Amino acid sequence: MKEIVVISGKGGTGKTSITAAFAMLAGRNAVIADCDVDAADMHLLLQPDYARSEDFYSGFKAKIDQNLCIKCGKCKQVCRFDAVQKIDDSYNIINLDCEGCAYCAEICPVKAIQMVEQNVGKWYISQIKSEAQMVHARLGIGADNSGKLVAKVKKEAKNISQETGKDYILVDGSPGIGCPVVSSLSGANYVIVVTEPTLSGFHDMKRVFELIQNFKLPSGCIINKQDVNAEISEKIVEFCTTNKIDIISKLPYDETFSEAMTQGKTIIEFDEENLKNILKDSWSKILLLTDTH
Amino acid sequence: MKIAFTTKGTEWDSPIDPRFGRTDYFLIYDEEKDELSTVDNTEINEVAHGAGPRTAQKLFEQKPDVLITGNGPGGNAATVLNQSGIKIITGAGAMTAKEAYDAYKKGEL
Repeated sequence: MKEIVVISGKGGTGKTSITAAFAMLAGRNAVIADCDVDAADMHLLLQPDYARSEDFYSGFKAKIDQNLCIKCGKCKQVCRFDAVQKIDDSYNIINLDCEGCAYCAEICPVKAIQMVEQNVGKWYISQIKSEAQMVHARLGIGADNSGKLVAKVKKEAKNISQETGKDYILVDGSPGIGCPVVSSLSGANYVIVVTEPTLSGFHDMKRVFELIQNFKLPSGCIINKQDVNAEISEKIVEFCTTNKIDIISKLPYDETFSEAMTQGKTIIEFDEENLKNILKDSWSKILLLTDTH
Repeated sequence: MKIAFTTKGTEWDSPIDPRFGRTDYFLIYDEEKDELSTVDNTEINEVAHGAGPRTAQKLFEQKPDVLITGNGPGGNAATVLNQSGIKIITGAGAMTAKEAYDAYKKGEL
């Protein structure tokens, strides 16, 4: 079983649209894991049935038991995040401001403050329209994606793929280079970077590549909207060649992507041949590269 | 020499966990004493952020000379480990701990 992870560095490069297309091409031979949990969009294209769901708990926040509180105000004094508010005569925690450091709970002379684990969202195991299984999650407002949640989603996907004897796990990672991205790369067999020839696209790709290098992972690049800026496109190719990043494919700027999306379709299901063929070739190439590395 | 492995279980036959920060266990083999011990790291599943440095600290306390794992540790973990002087060997992601040890001894990793 091999794990293929798609990331981008910069957001908006077309990572999810392309990953969803690959998910359709992989058919029932892959388990899909949507780890881009902050802005999980892949469900719009793959139509999961939300068959199984479970609550996800992460992080702690302080809670004051008003019956025990002696209103000494020490919690308010020590809080570095101004998360303790005095309303009339009682002290209250503003949940959005609380960072869960537990300083207040530690210092409270009557132990009136408990640290409560937060239910921050749900994770799901679904069947999608290609009849493959997908593991995905949805977070509540103000909750942040974390390495913990990504590790959880990937672990479930791994379990399913082992139980059902699938060859691949296809992971839609999150943009950026932070904790969730580190967690999505961890344990991968092959990494695909979807980038675009813009200043920020190239810049963020270079940063995310540092991370890939740390993990010593084999990687390949898809340049989306490659005709938007020929000069930067050329620089990306140069960068890839120097750093031994496989160049998987170049896609033209094409509004068919958005047209397909408004109909809730991946490009594979859309009546269009050029992009579809490039993506089909890309997927075959990726499987070959993943298996030979 | 003391050799540490990131593993999914607690025996020689346990598969290597390719991840560093979120590895379930460390298997520690002390070659001089011919002793195998394990360090449980499963509580890391409950940690939202900063798994890498936390696990690096735990490994550091074991004072191994060599770490054998699958992929390289990520940025933060790598920074901590570089200061520890522990030699990091990667590429054992698809092996068991025993296979990884043998491969390391033969200089194949």
